[in-house]
Amino acid sequence: MASKRKVGEAKLEKEELDLFVDAPPDDDDDDDGDTSDSEESVYSGLEEEPSSSEEEEENSSDNEDHGTDDTTDTPGPTTDNTAGSAGTSSTERLDNRPQPDEYEFDSSDEEDIRNTVGNIPMEWYNDYPHIGYNLDGKKIMKPAKGDELDEFLNKMDNPDYWRTVKDKTTGEDVKLTDEELDIIQQIQRGKYPDKAYNPYEPYIDFFTHEKMIHPVNNHPRSKRSFIPSLVEKEKVSKLVHAIKMGWIKPRKARDDEPKYYDIWENDNQYTPDKRYQTHIPAPKLKLPGHEESYNPPPEYLPSEEEILAWTQADPEDRRQAFLSKKYDALRKVPAYAGFVKERFERCLDLYLCPRQRKMRANVTAEDLIPKLPKPRDLQPFPTTLSVVYEGHTDVVRCISVEPTGQWLVSGSDDETLRFWEVATGRCRKVLQLGGRVRSVAWCPNSAVCLVAAVVDSTVIIINPSLGDKLVYHSTDNLLNTYEAPESQETKLPVEWAAAEGKEHDMGIRLRISHPKTIRQVTWHGKGDYFAIVMPDGGRMSVLIHQLTKRRSQNPFRKSKGLVQCVLFHPIRPFLFVATQRYVRVYNLLKQELTKKLMANCKWVSSMAVHPGGDNLIIGSYDSRLSWFDMDLSTKPYQTLRHQKRALRQVCYHKKYPLFASASDDGTVVICHGMVYSDLLQNPLLVPVKILRGHKVTQNLGAMDCEFHPTQPWIFSCGADTTVRLYT
Amino acid sequence: MASSGPHVQAKFFTKQPQFTVSEDVFSVPATVTTLELNDLINGLLSSADGDGESLRREFDFLVQGEFLRLPLNTHMQNKGLTAERVVSIEFLLRQPAPEPSTAIQQEDWISSVQGNRDSILSGSYDSTVQVWTRTGQRLVSGTGHTEPVKAVAWVKQEATGGQFLSASQDQLIVLWDWDREGGTAVPSLCCRGHARSVDCLATHPTADKFASGSWDKMIKLWSLGDAEEEEEEERARGKKKAKQEQLGPTRTPLMTLQGHSEAVTSVTWVDDITLCSASWDHTIRTWDAEAGIPKETLTGSKAFHSIAYSSLSHLLASGSSDRHVRLWDLRSQKGVLVESTLTAHQGWVSAVAWSPTNQYHLTSASYDKTLKLWDTRSPRAPLYNMSGHREKLLCADWSIPDLLICGGAEKQLCTFSYSDQLSNMPDRQQGN
Repeated sequence: MASKRKVGEAKLEKEELDLFVDAPPDDDDDDDGDTSDSEESVYSGLEEEPSSSEEEEENSSDNEDHGTDDTTDTPGPTTDNTAGSAGTSSTERLDNRPQPDEYEFDSSDEEDIRNTVGNIPMEWYNDYPHIGYNLDGKKIMKPAKGDELDEFLNKMDNPDYWRTVKDKTTGEDVKLTDEELDIIQQIQRGKYPDKAYNPYEPYIDFFTHEKMIHPVNNHPRSKRSFIPSLVEKEKVSKLVHAIKMGWIKPRKARDDEPKYYDIWENDNQYTPDKRYQTHIPAPKLKLPGHEESYNPPPEYLPSEEEILAWTQADPEDRRQAFLSKKYDALRKVPAYAGFVKERFERCLDLYLCPRQRKMRANVTAEDLIPKLPKPRDLQPFPTTLSVVYEGHTDVVRCISVEPTGQWLVSGSDDETLRFWEVATGRCRKVLQLGGRVRSVAWCPNSAVCLVAAVVDSTVIIINPSLGDKLVYHSTDNLLNTYEAPESQETKLPVEWAAAEGKEHDMGIRLRISHPKTIRQVTWHGKGDYFAIVMPDGGRMSVLIHQLTKRRSQNPFRKSKGLVQCVLFHPIRPFLFVATQRYVRVYNLLKQELTKKLMANCKWVSSMAVHPGGDNLIIGSYDSRLSWFDMDLSTKPYQTLRHQKRALRQVCYHKKYPLFASASDDGTVVICHGMVYSDLLQNPLLVPVKILRGHKVTQNLGAMDCEFHPTQPWIFSCGADTTVRLYT
Repeated sequence: MASSGPHVQAKFFTKQPQFTVSEDVFSVPATVTTLELNDLINGLLSSADGDGESLRREFDFLVQGEFLRLPLNTHMQNKGLTAERVVSIEFLLRQPAPEPSTAIQQEDWISSVQGNRDSILSGSYDSTVQVWTRTGQRLVSGTGHTEPVKAVAWVKQEATGGQFLSASQDQLIVLWDWDREGGTAVPSLCCRGHARSVDCLATHPTADKFASGSWDKMIKLWSLGDAEEEEEEERARGKKKAKQEQLGPTRTPLMTLQGHSEAVTSVTWVDDITLCSASWDHTIRTWDAEAGIPKETLTGSKAFHSIAYSSLSHLLASGSSDRHVRLWDLRSQKGVLVESTLTAHQGWVSAVAWSPTNQYHLTSASYDKTLKLWDTRSPRAPLYNMSGHREKLLCADWSIPDLLICGGAEKQLCTFSYSDQLSNMPDRQQGN
């Protein structure tokens, strides 16, 4: 790089010199135009010099300057003179030179012709009085050189000092003209030396591919071009003849099928049969670890016991297939004995590797859960514990709410029946019944005020004397109007007895004794009939009693199994009888079995009918709650399992779309159960709330639950001796 | 006051003239609480007095009509106030805590209570109605009901005695004539007509009639006057005879207001002709008691247990089974009837009562065993909780201006003395 730059500089110097050289001939010799022309064509920069006279003037002014400085600077004029002589001599020599054009652009021709020393460092001549030789072999003497002081004075006084350069080959001072300076500046700036040159002139494309409307040349078309060619006519007639004769057949139509086609066209679509698409990479080899090193760290070296254990172990049981061994140099490592075997096993691995891709369904668990409305949008439903009814001393087995919702009755294992004011939690009455109260039911007819309670094998009908005075007085009157009929054909071992004396004052009105323990009592909606369940009663396991006539009847001739509970249909004359596994629906009028529902559980504990009458829920001891849509199927429409332990009771709300289940784990689960009048729409079941509150005692939690008849509240009773109201 | 963090420009003013401070604007830290503001105001007041007598007073601060209970910036954020403007903060003496004055032990649950002047009337689950002095001395006990008394109400009280009403689950309302000297209460009227337990009573402001609400969904209006109606009664009594004699002559209702679909739990007079009733059917209804026609129905989402109307604030307070006390504006023409909801109770609100002297204060009793004193300007937190009761509270009353009375399953009639800062102010000034 450095040398190149030097060369460039040298060239520049040369050019400067050439410029300088050409200037004098211009002013001196006008007659030899040929040479000057040629010279000018080479140095086009000088072509447009405004005038030679100016140059002349400058030169003369220079001379004058020097003249004025004569006193101090004597060498000035002499240098000028020598320059002038050198200039003239060179031009003369140029004149004599032969003029082959090939030299015009030859760079070697541009070398200095006044001094023949060539392109050498001029310092070589520093010690000589001359500076080189001219064409004639004469020494070119160095011009006289001033001392430092002269130089300084020159620098100070001469206004053109800055544009004066020294010609190294001749040792003369040269004053650069404005044009030369311009060129130097242009080059310094890295631009074209000629300012006027425009490198971006619009390009004229003469031989363009575009078709012109005019011909390029202006020749008229030749005459011959208008005359049909005879030779061509001959050729054509020959071809026509050949076609006619059938010698030339028309070319066959080329097939449209592409010559090349994309063999990977269908590669983007996935086809499982293409193995390369379902590429399964071969199992990777384990990378070697420290234990495989020829010089492992001492902790990797097996102890003697380990070696012994390794050798005694089955090859399959060994944790690693080799024993680490230490060698102090790699070259002492022997050939690996197990190499072939290991390669073979690797090949087996690759060959026997299972290459079946398992298709896994990408289903998130959330997507499988049906979209249910948020419980917040399904209000009202009971959410918080509001009132606790305290007073019982043992497990509260059963509760029942008065039809208007002012009173609540609860029966307990402490052999009492308690009546509570719902709003305040005040216990209004306590009845000692002399036995565990298994079931209690408030008569649904609001025109009478009666409660049926089950103690062991007796049903006790009680008038609690709560609520409307008129009603409970008329109830007593109604019971008193009974007159025993003459013919008592009692096939059933059931005994009706009116209470007297002290019992009557307590509120007990009737006692109905049965042969076996009774499990449940339930009223018909009208309030005259009630049904009882005697699970051990054999064919008498279900009995229906009529209050006004004090009559009992057995609807079934034979037992269908262990009856768990019975229910009257709220509107139609149906009776639901739940055995362990099935729920049978009997039509009481026609005296026939209408339907048999498969409970789909192991042991039914309780059941409840929707106030509309078409839906039924069943709770079971295996903690399932099954919802039956009786128009839909005899199998459960939906089975819910929200509680961990056995369900003791299920119930529906009379007004709100709610149902609940009480469980042995002490919780009551409230669910939203919307039944639509549109028969095409299935019921919407959404669990909305888990009510916790009852403590689990003796493995019993919540024993019974019942909704308030008008408010979205639920009562529950439990083994912790309390009755609770959640609102 | 110099602390890091943003500051708020605040201006203090008061409606209590003895505490007037300059109207200067203060720059207070945005996170300032009542504690620091109290220091500031006390400092201002003591510097204004100049005598260095620094009796520290506790103030409460109102920003945009609500008590400052949170740091100021949070409060302003909740209220939607910008911190760039000057905030006007009203300060007033803090309401002193009500002090427990007496606890009157009774035989049974107290279902209802009403005070009047210096005596307290209470109804009990042992079927008696009793009158007590404020110090817990029993003046009289009225026996005659056969079932628990559910509601009591004063009709009038004089120095020598007075008249009061009691309603019971035995479906009767009895008017008692009380003779203070003799210490006797004699039933003078027996109002029959309700079909189930009578749960609430409200004496008309002019004391010539009263209203009662019952579980049988009816509201009945009864006359308290005697005169010619009495003769009608005589004829009616002639038929029924005998056993009713002990409870005085029978009276039948003037009017029956029918409309509720569930038990009526509370009735109250809004003005001379307007009656307001609350029911378990989730509605509050107003009635024109002269014409006997329903006027308006306000529907809530839960069963109402109690309502109370304040003629000072013209607001109706309701206590319901969803644990909130709601304030209703009956005059409101815009759709929003619930003015605000006071939330702090943990159980059913069994009773509400307005202060007869202070338009902002009310009290509520709840099944969560607390009596709360509320200021309507502080809906999120009550002014004071009066806890310590062992059982649920069933009734509360504030008829005597300086006495809060409550009773319940605890069998104790508890009273709390309340000092109204507004009425006490002159005293304080004299003291200073």
